[in-house]
Amino acid sequence: MLLGGSISTPPASLRLRSNLYPQNAVTQSSQAAFPSAMQRKPPSYSISDEDLKSRGFLLRRTAEGLNLDQLNSVFVAVGFPRRDTAKIQVALEHTDALLWVEYEKTRRPVAFARATGDGVFNAIIWDVVVDPSFQSCGLGKAVMERLIEDLQAKGICNIALYSEPRVLGFYRPLGFVSDPDGIKGMVFIRKQRNKK
Amino acid sequence: MLLIPISSSSSVLPQSFFNSTSSYSSNHHSLFLSNLSYPIPHGSRKLKTLRLRANFWESIRSGFVKNNNSTQLVEPPSIVDDEEEPLLPVEFTLVERTLQDGLIEEIIFSSGGEIDVYDLQGLCDKVGWPRRPLVKLAAALKNSYMVATLHSVMKSSSVSDSGSSGDNGEQQQEKKLIGMARATSDHAFNATIWDVLVDPEYQGQGLGKALVEKLVRALLQRDIGNISLFADSQVVDFYQNLGFEADPEGIKGMFWYPK
Repeated sequence: MLLGGSISTPPASLRLRSNLYPQNAVTQSSQAAFPSAMQRKPPSYSISDEDLKSRGFLLRRTAEGLNLDQLNSVFVAVGFPRRDTAKIQVALEHTDALLWVEYEKTRRPVAFARATGDGVFNAIIWDVVVDPSFQSCGLGKAVMERLIEDLQAKGICNIALYSEPRVLGFYRPLGFVSDPDGIKGMVFIRKQRNKK
Repeated sequence: MLLIPISSSSSVLPQSFFNSTSSYSSNHHSLFLSNLSYPIPHGSRKLKTLRLRANFWESIRSGFVKNNNSTQLVEPPSIVDDEEEPLLPVEFTLVERTLQDGLIEEIIFSSGGEIDVYDLQGLCDKVGWPRRPLVKLAAALKNSYMVATLHSVMKSSSVSDSGSSGDNGEQQQEKKLIGMARATSDHAFNATIWDVLVDPEYQGQGLGKALVEKLVRALLQRDIGNISLFADSQVVDFYQNLGFEADPEGIKGMFWYPK
């Protein structure tokens, strides 16, 4: 809904949702008690932490121990460009939440996702990758479910991402909706800048 | 400082004003850097722009993937345009006009992020947004990579016989927040613009366009290659005119349980 030129706000339905859970939180830590109005069930994941562990996959929630060169290799393996690891380091330092899966046998990252945002209202999930050799066995879903849960625990109600067309079917079962209320994801393209 | 005197009856700024900023910026003398949370590189311009070019390729492809992307690759000349533009000052005057009663109004753009959260809440009220807790609002601003603001400063035109030529302290100055836009970022690859708003009394004058355009330019000048946002359907055209493309390469914006 267009409100006097205001743009890029969470859609009306999202705002309504956030108002349903009045926050009286003074602290912003993830350990903060949930507001009484919000009844949060304990998380139930498609695959439990124990399940993953038994298959040799360890869940990590910090960048500690994450080898950026190895992460870069996973990016390249799924078709991302190889990026400067120094820049990846900077990006990770300014990331609200991240999750990765370490394959115990090789100690290498095999799945990864991170989210940036303002820490209170909005978060965008980037760089969701699973090493091709480990795809199709629930790792991507495991990472996403937990990342979303972590963001929710911080009180962030607006969680968004940009999805390539070929993986829309991956995000939909997780609860993502494309173009809700006609909201469009847009990206600045430099070559068009001089058109107007 | 480039000033465009506009009579009180005129309310539309020429479009060209917002498109050609290089001549504008070069005339601005008081370049002051205050409270920056992001460093402006002082190194040689060549090195910076070489980095800009390489990072642009990486950034624009980072979210989009896939190799046979010849259609989405951008020609280098468009980046050359950026190279030749001087760094945006943190704060500068967008427009100055004389109103009735001899009042002078200056609209000032700033990317320095100095904003009063109470003013912001008042502005959000004015455009009709639902209230958000002040504490959270303050945190969101603090956690934003860049906060761009538009302020209106009203002052009485200096009386010629005041005697103190350079002293503005005697004049009454009323500074009012009339617009804001902010961007979150990982400081390396991606930035996302949120909460773009302009006081309804000041809409229709091209200020929203200027706000976003300057914010984008400031982000680009800090090497952030991928600038994105989510636009309500009614304002998709607004952003398209500013150089944003919806669903590039079929990439869709998705929200988690929006209803």
